[in-house]
Amino acid sequence: MIKLIKFLTTKKSFLLFVLLELIAIILIINSHNYAQVQTYSWQTAFSGQINQRLSGIKYHFYLKQYNDSLLKQNANLLQKFYNNIQIENTGTLPGEYEFIPAYVVSNQYHLSHNIILINKGRLDSIQPEMGVAGMNGVVGIVQKTSGHFSRVISILNKNTKLNVSLLHSNYTGFMQWDGNKPNVFSITDLPADAPIQIGDTIITGGRSSVFPKGIPIGIITDFATVPGQKSYKINLKSFMDYTNIGPVYVIKNILKKEIDSLKTPVE
Amino acid sequence: MKFNLKNIIIFIVFMLLQILWFNHINLFGRFTPVIYLYPFLILPVSKDESFNLIIGFFFGLIIDIFTQTGGVFAATTVLLIYLKKFYFLINKSPSQDVEEMKISKLSFVQKIVYFGIFIFLGLFFIYLLEAFNFKLVISKLGYIFISTLISLFFYIFIDTLLTGRQATS
Repeated sequence: MIKLIKFLTTKKSFLLFVLLELIAIILIINSHNYAQVQTYSWQTAFSGQINQRLSGIKYHFYLKQYNDSLLKQNANLLQKFYNNIQIENTGTLPGEYEFIPAYVVSNQYHLSHNIILINKGRLDSIQPEMGVAGMNGVVGIVQKTSGHFSRVISILNKNTKLNVSLLHSNYTGFMQWDGNKPNVFSITDLPADAPIQIGDTIITGGRSSVFPKGIPIGIITDFATVPGQKSYKINLKSFMDYTNIGPVYVIKNILKKEIDSLKTPVE
Repeated sequence: MKFNLKNIIIFIVFMLLQILWFNHINLFGRFTPVIYLYPFLILPVSKDESFNLIIGFFFGLIIDIFTQTGGVFAATTVLLIYLKKFYFLINKSPSQDVEEMKISKLSFVQKIVYFGIFIFLGLFFIYLLEAFNFKLVISKLGYIFISTLISLFFYIFIDTLLTGRQATS
C-alpha cells in the first residue's frame, strides 16, 4: 500500500497526463456523437455571441464582394421571375420552401468535420435538419439550435452526404467531401449510363426533403468509371468559395414533417 | 516553475489572439496559423508538471469551445506539455538538470528545430484527433507541413519580438 502511494506520488504528473487526455478524448468522442450534441447547446450560445461581434468586423471588409454576389443572385432571380422560367421536373409545390436569410458568424474549412455557426436560431423558427445554402451553392445542414444561433454541419464534413444530380438529365448520385481542398468534392453512385462530360454543371438532386432540386453546386473537372461497378467516380469543383461564405439562406421545407412521416416505416 | 500572474496573462493574451484573430486568418486560401502553443513551449520544464498540464488543458478547452471541436486542442496541449520534458531529457548535456534548461538560451537554429518539431507534432495531433482517421491525416501531411512552416514563421517573429525586448529592458 505504501509502495502504491509512493508510486502514485512520484508518477503524479504522468497520471494527471493520462487522466486529462482521457477527459479530452471523451469530449472529442462526445462531440462526434451526433445523438449527444445537445449538451453543446450552451457552447453554441456562448461562442456564438463572441464570434458574432468578430464576424461583424470581417463582414465590413467584404461588403463590396458580398454586395456584388447578392446583386448577381438578385439579377438571376429577377430574370427567372420575369421570364417565368421553371426548372424542369422540380417536383416541388408552389411555396413549399421558405428561405430565411442569415449570416455566418464562425466558419471552418481546415478540419475534417467542419462546423459553421449562423446567427439565426430556434427563435427564428430554425430547426435541426434544415438545409443551408449560400450565394453560390449548398453550405450545410442545421444540426441543432440555441435561441439565437444554429450549429450547421458544413458540406466540408466527412459525414455529410448530399444527393446531387446532373443539370441536363435526371441521373443522381452522392456528393461527399474528400477532406482536403475546400473546393474539391467527389461524386459516387452516379450510373455509368449517364451522358456526362467535363464542365457539366451539377445541381442538388432534390431526393431529400432538405434541399429543393436545382441549386447549382459546381462543375465536373474529371471523371472515371469505377472498375467492376456500373457507376462513375466524378471530381467536382464547387462554385462556392467555402473559405469565405458570406450571407446564407436557411431553407425550410413546410412539408418536411409530412414527407418524413411517410418515409418512416410503420411499426 | 514559478507560476506568476505574468505567465497567466501571457497565456490569456495568446489564447485570445488565437480565438479572436488567428482563427480568422486564411493565408493562401486555406492555411490558419496556430500560435496559442507558443507560451506553453517557452515555459521551462518543472519538476512537477501537474500545474502546467492542468493550465494547458484548461486553455485548450476554451479554444475547443470556440472552434466546436470537443477536446481536440485540450488533448494536444496536454500531450505537448508532457512530451516537452522528453525533448529536453534527450538534448541536455550530462552535467545539466532538465529544469535548468531555458528556451531563451537556445541558439537560433536550435530554436527553429525545437519549435518546428513541436508545431508539427501539435498540428499532426490536432488533425488526427479531429479526423479520427489515420489514413486521412497521412493524406494531409503535405498540408500539415506547410501549415507548420507558416506557424513557425509567426513563432520566430513573436519570439524575436519578445526576447529582443527582454534583452534591452
